[in-house]
Amino acid sequence: MYRRNWSIVIALLVVASMLLAACGGGAEPTPVPAATEAPAAAAPTEAPAAEAPTEAPAAEEPTVAPTEPPAAEEPTMAPTEAPAAGAACPAGSPTLTIWADKERNAALLTIQDQVLAETGVCLDLQEVGFGDIRSNVSLAAPAGEGPDIFVGANDWLGELAANGVPAEMDLGAKAADFDPVSLQAFTFDGKLLGLPYAVENVAFVCNSDLVPTPPTTYDELKTMAQEMQDAGTVQQFFGLMAGDPYHQEPINTAFGGYIFGQTETGYDACDVGLDSQGAIDYLTWIDGMVKDGLLSADVTWDTAHTLFDTGDAACMITGPWAIQRFQDAGINFSIGAVPGQAQPGSPFVGVQGFMVNAFSDDRVLAQSFLTDYIATQPVMEALYETGDRPPAYLPARGVMDETATAFAAVTESGHPMPNIVAMSAVWSSWGDAIVTVFQQSATPEQAAATAAQQVRAAAGCE
Amino acid sequence: MAVPTAEGTGGRKASRFSQDGSVLGLLVKVLGLSAIVGLLTYTGWRLLGDGAYAFAAAFFITALFFTLVFVRKSTVPLRWIMPGLVFLILFQLYPIFFTVYTAFTNYSTGRNVEKPAAIAAIERLTYVPEGSPAWGWTPLQADDGSAAVWIIDPADGAAYLAVPDEDLVPAAEVNGLQLDANGAPASMDGFTVLPNNQRFLFVSANQGVTFGDEERGVQVTSSTEARQTRQRYVYDPELDAMIDQRDGTIFVSQMGIFTAEDGSTLAPGYPVWVGVENFTSIITNPAIRGPFFTIFIWTFIWAFFSVLETFILGLLLALNMNSPNIPFQRILRVLLIVPYAIPAFITVKVWVGLLNPVLGVIGSAWNPGWFTDPFWAKIGILMVNLWLGYPYMFLIITGALQSIPGDIYEAARVDGAGPFYQFRRLTLPLLMVSIGPLLIGSFAFNFNNFAIIDLYNSGGPPIPGSATPAGYTDILISYTYRIAFGGARGNDYGLAAAISIIIFAIVATVTILNFRFTGQLEEVSENV
Repeated sequence: MYRRNWSIVIALLVVASMLLAACGGGAEPTPVPAATEAPAAAAPTEAPAAEAPTEAPAAEEPTVAPTEPPAAEEPTMAPTEAPAAGAACPAGSPTLTIWADKERNAALLTIQDQVLAETGVCLDLQEVGFGDIRSNVSLAAPAGEGPDIFVGANDWLGELAANGVPAEMDLGAKAADFDPVSLQAFTFDGKLLGLPYAVENVAFVCNSDLVPTPPTTYDELKTMAQEMQDAGTVQQFFGLMAGDPYHQEPINTAFGGYIFGQTETGYDACDVGLDSQGAIDYLTWIDGMVKDGLLSADVTWDTAHTLFDTGDAACMITGPWAIQRFQDAGINFSIGAVPGQAQPGSPFVGVQGFMVNAFSDDRVLAQSFLTDYIATQPVMEALYETGDRPPAYLPARGVMDETATAFAAVTESGHPMPNIVAMSAVWSSWGDAIVTVFQQSATPEQAAATAAQQVRAAAGCE
Repeated sequence: MAVPTAEGTGGRKASRFSQDGSVLGLLVKVLGLSAIVGLLTYTGWRLLGDGAYAFAAAFFITALFFTLVFVRKSTVPLRWIMPGLVFLILFQLYPIFFTVYTAFTNYSTGRNVEKPAAIAAIERLTYVPEGSPAWGWTPLQADDGSAAVWIIDPADGAAYLAVPDEDLVPAAEVNGLQLDANGAPASMDGFTVLPNNQRFLFVSANQGVTFGDEERGVQVTSSTEARQTRQRYVYDPELDAMIDQRDGTIFVSQMGIFTAEDGSTLAPGYPVWVGVENFTSIITNPAIRGPFFTIFIWTFIWAFFSVLETFILGLLLALNMNSPNIPFQRILRVLLIVPYAIPAFITVKVWVGLLNPVLGVIGSAWNPGWFTDPFWAKIGILMVNLWLGYPYMFLIITGALQSIPGDIYEAARVDGAGPFYQFRRLTLPLLMVSIGPLLIGSFAFNFNNFAIIDLYNSGGPPIPGSATPAGYTDILISYTYRIAFGGARGNDYGLAAAISIIIFAIVATVTILNFRFTGQLEEVSENV
């Protein structure tokens, strides 16, 4: 009895295992290994909310994230499964899986039926939180589980390109229709790796009731601040948050400072300009403002915006994400170019775009879809309507409202946010340096030297 | 699979496969076991296909273990905890094994796929030979259903019929060719011209297909263009290198990245074994070593005071609430544990708001530098943790107090012991017996309490002049997080794993020492 059972069990086991293994031999790999690594990679490279522009809008979007489906579930969906809305994919029709956040997804939904009718290609639109796309795509794509197309920001390129994720993009003749800054932003190592759809940058926003004529230089700003704060008109004239490299880049550049030097093919991680004379001049100006009581180490992102909301601050450097709250607060404001000093101030331009997954079998189809359907006026306008950022596609700029037009005008003076991996060291090191100047725990020279040394050490170029 | 019976669990000399001897029962059991083992084997098999050998091995071992347990007589009792054991192996033991393994590799951004996947990804890259035109193309279908394209050089109008693996056929040699007004083919013998709305489907069905011979053949690269794309890199297993087909450059594999002589690299790379390099770099790399000692000391202070302050406040409240004279005792008890019920993420942010120097209720009235002064930032964060942590202590101490028998106090009173003496010689030692291990747990938890540190001030204020970004309130775990994930080289999982092993060693040591300490307390209790 015992012997017989033994052999039956073993025989059945072997047969069953072989059958199962044979059935699944050619199937797609499971996402299991990715899942075990996901927690470690979930948030690591994200700069704090106020620092990275792709994160900055978080202030207006935090309610979105928790309600979104967990991204880890996405890859397990069968490609032919019907999208949440719109027509079901006909059996056998080629499918393009697209990861997009809520706003972009909404815009893509508008062309889903049209694309299917005209080309026979079915769009499988999957909504993934913007920040989640970055971490998930690096894990899912090499495992063959990733989307064919995904949206992302230009400052992810360093990391994504190191992982070989974005495929080279060829816009052909349509390249001329894009804002040159946006194409430059999506160029990494001399290759265009994305199709930009929106640009985003800060501008100089002033309360028109308090400041009818905004200052055009930082010396002028300081004088006005001194006068108005002495008169008690405002609590803090310049609503500048302490220690945030993103919002302060226009000041840094106005004084002649820079972060990374540029070469023909992109940024040079070893040419660190954080201790250049311009950067030191900028920190010295901050130092003077703090010493004169015109800037404070206590002002955070929230504080600065609240001060402006209540009319307790007259001017600040902020982006389109803050405009709604200013309007809600009933503030009468102007949006203009950031002041200059030694040279015109140049804000970071963050660019969002569509990228093609290099690991996808449908790369050519994905690329064709992007150039034929996304790089068109109606879709770019739809993306503007849902996303509220100036389109990178110039023919679509006609539909912009006053606010977007004002910000787009400042874009021209901007420079793309560095997309090299070393930038993540800048956010922490340079951020800390600015904070120490605000807190008066380091002199401008010391702070600049520390930050530059930290970034050089982290990038391994000493 | 079956309800445990006295026979089964007792492991008596009955058959393991049927208590009643029915063939059906045996069949059900065997099929059930086959399904589970089959599933595990199948998953392992697929992982093997991905090159995830270690994880695949974990699945195979689990399947073998499962089988052995179910067919061997002596392991019958183990059957009932098998599901738990399986999950333990796959989701506890394997991650530990994987972390240790990772600590000895250079797994990081840019080296995040296995070697075969990296080679496959690089081999998919293409190039277009210089001077070759961007052809316009028209989709064709041969009468046998196979695909072909009609290509036109937009520069000179030269047109060809391109069929896979055959020479390009010049337009003049194509039989029955009819062109439409735009110069595109309308019809020809042996082929059907597909309408323009079929272009995307054609692209989808023919990706990677070369139309024409090896030398001049083209691939469709968009809905309107076809190019002479060629594979750019070919892997040479003998050299362990990628050869650039365009100019012959050799990219030799170096530490998992294919690197040319001039330093240019190919993406993606793959992780390789680096031995103890991650561990030695913690000691030798000045950027990492920098403020390590300062942070190390603060981590201990932080964890120790977090436990001490919450324990003292929880104890005081519990002793008070334990007195029968307190009015509204139940309501007060509930209110006192409310901070425990609210998610810490919210509480910390509320406190950050309260302490905000400009807008906060507390901060605007009294601001010694809650976020900017090294000392007061530490006080602030300890204060927030006191608020978060005391309800837990209050809860467990209340429970422990109620388990101390009342008669020993009676006896103490008879012996003339005052309230303070009773507390010191009876309550505290008896409490420590049950609370001691929980205090150690609390210490270990706070030692790695990343969330509160990050939410309060992200480790700030920054330490000026440190070799690597670090703040005065950074603890080991938040500091290493910065190094491993905030550095200029992306996410360094290998280094992160190495550091987490070191942190584990520290916590384990502290815990063992503490258990010795509480072991002595137990002896005390025996003497009471």
